[in-house]
Amino acid sequence: MNTKKWKSIGTVLGETNISEFYFSLKNYKAKKGDIITTESKVPSSEGKIEEVTVWGKISSIESTNVFFPTEAAQELTNENINIRDTILPTTRDELICKVIILGFTLKNNLKLMPLNYPVRPAAPVSYPSSEDVEALLISDLNSEHPLFIGSLLARDAVKIKIDADNLVSRHVSIFGMSGSGKTVMVRRIMDELLKKKYPMLVLDIHGDYLGFIQKQKKLYPKNEVKLFYPNLSVSSDDKEIIYTLIDKLGNSLTDPQKDFLSSLLEKVKYEGGSLLKYIELLVRKAREYASDSSKSFKNIRPASMYVVVRSLGQVAKKLKNMEQTNFRHRQKMSKLKFEELPDAATEPEKIINKGQLSILYLKGYENLPASAIVSILLENLFKHRQEVEEEIPPFLTIIEEAHNFIPSRSEDKDNLPSVDTIRKVITEGRKFGTGIMIISQRPSRLDETIASQCNSQIVFRMVNQKDQRATTRDSETLSVDDSKQLPNLANGQGIISGQVVNFSLPVQIKFDAELINDDIGNENFISAVENWDDKESVKQRKKFAKDFSNITSIDRRRAN
Amino acid sequence: MSNETDIKNKIKSNSSLFTNFVKNAVSASPKVQNNFLDVSAQVALTIQKILEDADLITNLEYKGKDFWSENKCKTSCFVDGGVDKTSIISSAPLSIRTGSYIVKPDAADKNREFFEESMVFLGDLYDPKNELYDFAEDDFDEDQMLNKKKDGARIIFEAVTIVKHILLNRKFDYCFLHGPIEATVMPFTVMGFPTFTKFAVENMLPFYNKNKLNAEARHFINVYLEALNSIKKSKFPIYGIVETSNSAPYIKNLLFNYKSKGTISEKDFKSTLATIKNYKITDSHLLEIILQSGQAIKPLEVKKQIKGFSVTSGSAWEEKMDSFPSVHIGYIKINDHSAPIRIESLNPSKNLIKDYEYILATARLLPNYGFPVGLNVVDKFAKIPNWMSKASRKYYATHLLKQAIRSKDQNTISLAVKILSKKVRSWRNRPLGGLAR
Repeated sequence: MNTKKWKSIGTVLGETNISEFYFSLKNYKAKKGDIITTESKVPSSEGKIEEVTVWGKISSIESTNVFFPTEAAQELTNENINIRDTILPTTRDELICKVIILGFTLKNNLKLMPLNYPVRPAAPVSYPSSEDVEALLISDLNSEHPLFIGSLLARDAVKIKIDADNLVSRHVSIFGMSGSGKTVMVRRIMDELLKKKYPMLVLDIHGDYLGFIQKQKKLYPKNEVKLFYPNLSVSSDDKEIIYTLIDKLGNSLTDPQKDFLSSLLEKVKYEGGSLLKYIELLVRKAREYASDSSKSFKNIRPASMYVVVRSLGQVAKKLKNMEQTNFRHRQKMSKLKFEELPDAATEPEKIINKGQLSILYLKGYENLPASAIVSILLENLFKHRQEVEEEIPPFLTIIEEAHNFIPSRSEDKDNLPSVDTIRKVITEGRKFGTGIMIISQRPSRLDETIASQCNSQIVFRMVNQKDQRATTRDSETLSVDDSKQLPNLANGQGIISGQVVNFSLPVQIKFDAELINDDIGNENFISAVENWDDKESVKQRKKFAKDFSNITSIDRRRAN
Repeated sequence: MSNETDIKNKIKSNSSLFTNFVKNAVSASPKVQNNFLDVSAQVALTIQKILEDADLITNLEYKGKDFWSENKCKTSCFVDGGVDKTSIISSAPLSIRTGSYIVKPDAADKNREFFEESMVFLGDLYDPKNELYDFAEDDFDEDQMLNKKKDGARIIFEAVTIVKHILLNRKFDYCFLHGPIEATVMPFTVMGFPTFTKFAVENMLPFYNKNKLNAEARHFINVYLEALNSIKKSKFPIYGIVETSNSAPYIKNLLFNYKSKGTISEKDFKSTLATIKNYKITDSHLLEIILQSGQAIKPLEVKKQIKGFSVTSGSAWEEKMDSFPSVHIGYIKINDHSAPIRIESLNPSKNLIKDYEYILATARLLPNYGFPVGLNVVDKFAKIPNWMSKASRKYYATHLLKQAIRSKDQNTISLAVKILSKKVRSWRNRPLGGLAR
């Protein structure tokens, strides 16, 4: 590292401490988020004085022109005067940068160490070369498995890598508004992990990750990419989930009706398999009990039983509808091969395998059934990782639209079955290699316990203050200055903090254009309407509509 | 202003006059209090008549956008000085500097504006080796003399800064000084006021009296006079701008001129002067109610250093007072809600109206404060910031302690510690009661 080649860009100001300092910046010589250095001296443990390079990150920049009085602006505006015509000063902007100290390095050693002695006021501030910044970041990350994700926001030439080991074991949260770059980030990570053959399971509600299937042969020939549609298969162990599903999806039941439902679940034996079939079995059995004049249920009136029958019928109808909706969506993507989700209890290796990416396409499913599917799936996979035999390798679960699966208590949805499952997996997952990545545009609507278990955060543009607060609340490493930056980030720009990096870094994520799902399109509805042509059936209806209308209008016997 | 009632109403609605009225209410006798309003109104009416008779009131034109578009090619220089006046016991640290703000609006960015720190002094006036003043035992109350020294240094620094610009042959269209173009030198004529060091004078006025820089030549009066004579020779117009006038030089001179012409009797002249003195009526007060926004009073030539006046009387410098140039004093009322500003120059203006309109335009850029914005800018630039004062105080305190420790005398050391830890008795340092923090 040749520090002499670094350009001087400013001077350290007044009072300093070991965690931050301010410096006066030369015009246009650095930006917010830039990594800068200053030379300083620190006492070593042997009592010697060592010359060190202190590294810092510009966390904010303020510009003031103390020579420009406010009331002058008033006159310029009122009289429509161009400031450049007047004697008012225009070139005396003072740029003051706040720097968060990252640590110091010794000569010829790029290991970043915590600073324990304040930097020298009046010391020059330098702009290190991109190569040196990159070298520092890599050296400091000290990662066996670095993943390339993009470049430093303030400096395109500085490539940013994050630590894969921490990413897959310590859980990550990715937050940001819709369209801010979350999915781009996830695709980037998935791309890197696929190259490392790390198994992943993606819970995909919108089909954002179907591009991996389409491009599998071309981009990931050595990987297996599987696309599953949900199959609600249950066993007798899943009684609680089934009860919740029926209770929430059906009509609201009175206490005697609920008692009947619980007893029914106890009595009706089911070996395991499709949930729909199970419910249909329950309907039959319940009807039998009701018409049987309640020999088995002496305290429950047949009327109450029929209510449960109707409720069960309604649940079955809803589940069928959801299945059909999902089916219709799948049909639209006829080129893609969808497989029924294998039973995670008995065939987990079909879902989690070395080098395999499994995408569970959940489109069309309401929150509750989707939550039940995810809960049963994760519960089973987790069990397999807990067992001594370890039938499946460690894997990463990516949960898109996580607020659907792990809503906060204030959402009044905390009885979703997935909440407890994910809470368990995320708390104990580190030991068993079942890392979780949660992605959401509404962090304030997420379960706090689960969100706070994520040791790394990647945050994109976020305007909602409630969400900003939730983000900093759940993060130990995201500073207040970082959170102030969130509303101003552009698409694909995010702040990474936590254990996957050593200090928070504003990053421009690399955009993988080839990973976009070609079948979903780009939501360009205006063009869609411009190119719109009626379907054949609609054309036919329109063709005869006029004739039928004429009949109606001349039919004098028809009641008005 | 047509009648006395109008004038009275204007006085009532005028803040600075109201302040003066309150001051009178506190200090003056009840009789004086009662007719302050009547007297002020009557004096204003009389002065207004005289001003109109002498055709001294003029209307200035201000068309913001057009004015600046036409005048953007002009180069202006604004000068001001800043002093750190705080002191610590046993040493008198002085930080003083003068700054210049030079601006040519239509020049390219790099050449558009310059901030120059034209003169700087950092030192201890109690240090016999200080480079500003020769060491002298103070004859009277030390604070009083010390403050005089600091004022003297600031005045000379400001004047010398303008001289420097002249010597460097700067091509200014205007030069403005924050404050009077010629200060009253009377306070520096007292016995025992120290002379500047040879080093200081050589640096301030390199052309001055090179061969014989004796003590007399290095005295404030002579050095300042030399600086003023240089300023008078300037090719570009130089104006001193005073924010508020606490005296009545214009009105007194106006009355004096009319007395000299025989228009006012000696008796009326004297009695009116007495009234002005008794009621503490100043130029600012009267002109504030006489002038309309955008109006100016044409300058009068005024002698600032008056022989035989007060302490100069009997002083060794008394004869020198006549050598000082007279000053041309005028006023401009910038807006409706602030007192007119005083414009001073050593030479009569060649383009009075244009110059005054330029000053008006620069002041209109501060529409409420009503003062040339360039001087406001340079005032901020030259001001000694708090961190600088603090640093210099700390430095001298440490220096004192180090000297004491070096002496190895326990009494000296404990005395130094006592001096440094001594707190000024002030209401802010009063002991707190109860649990107050």
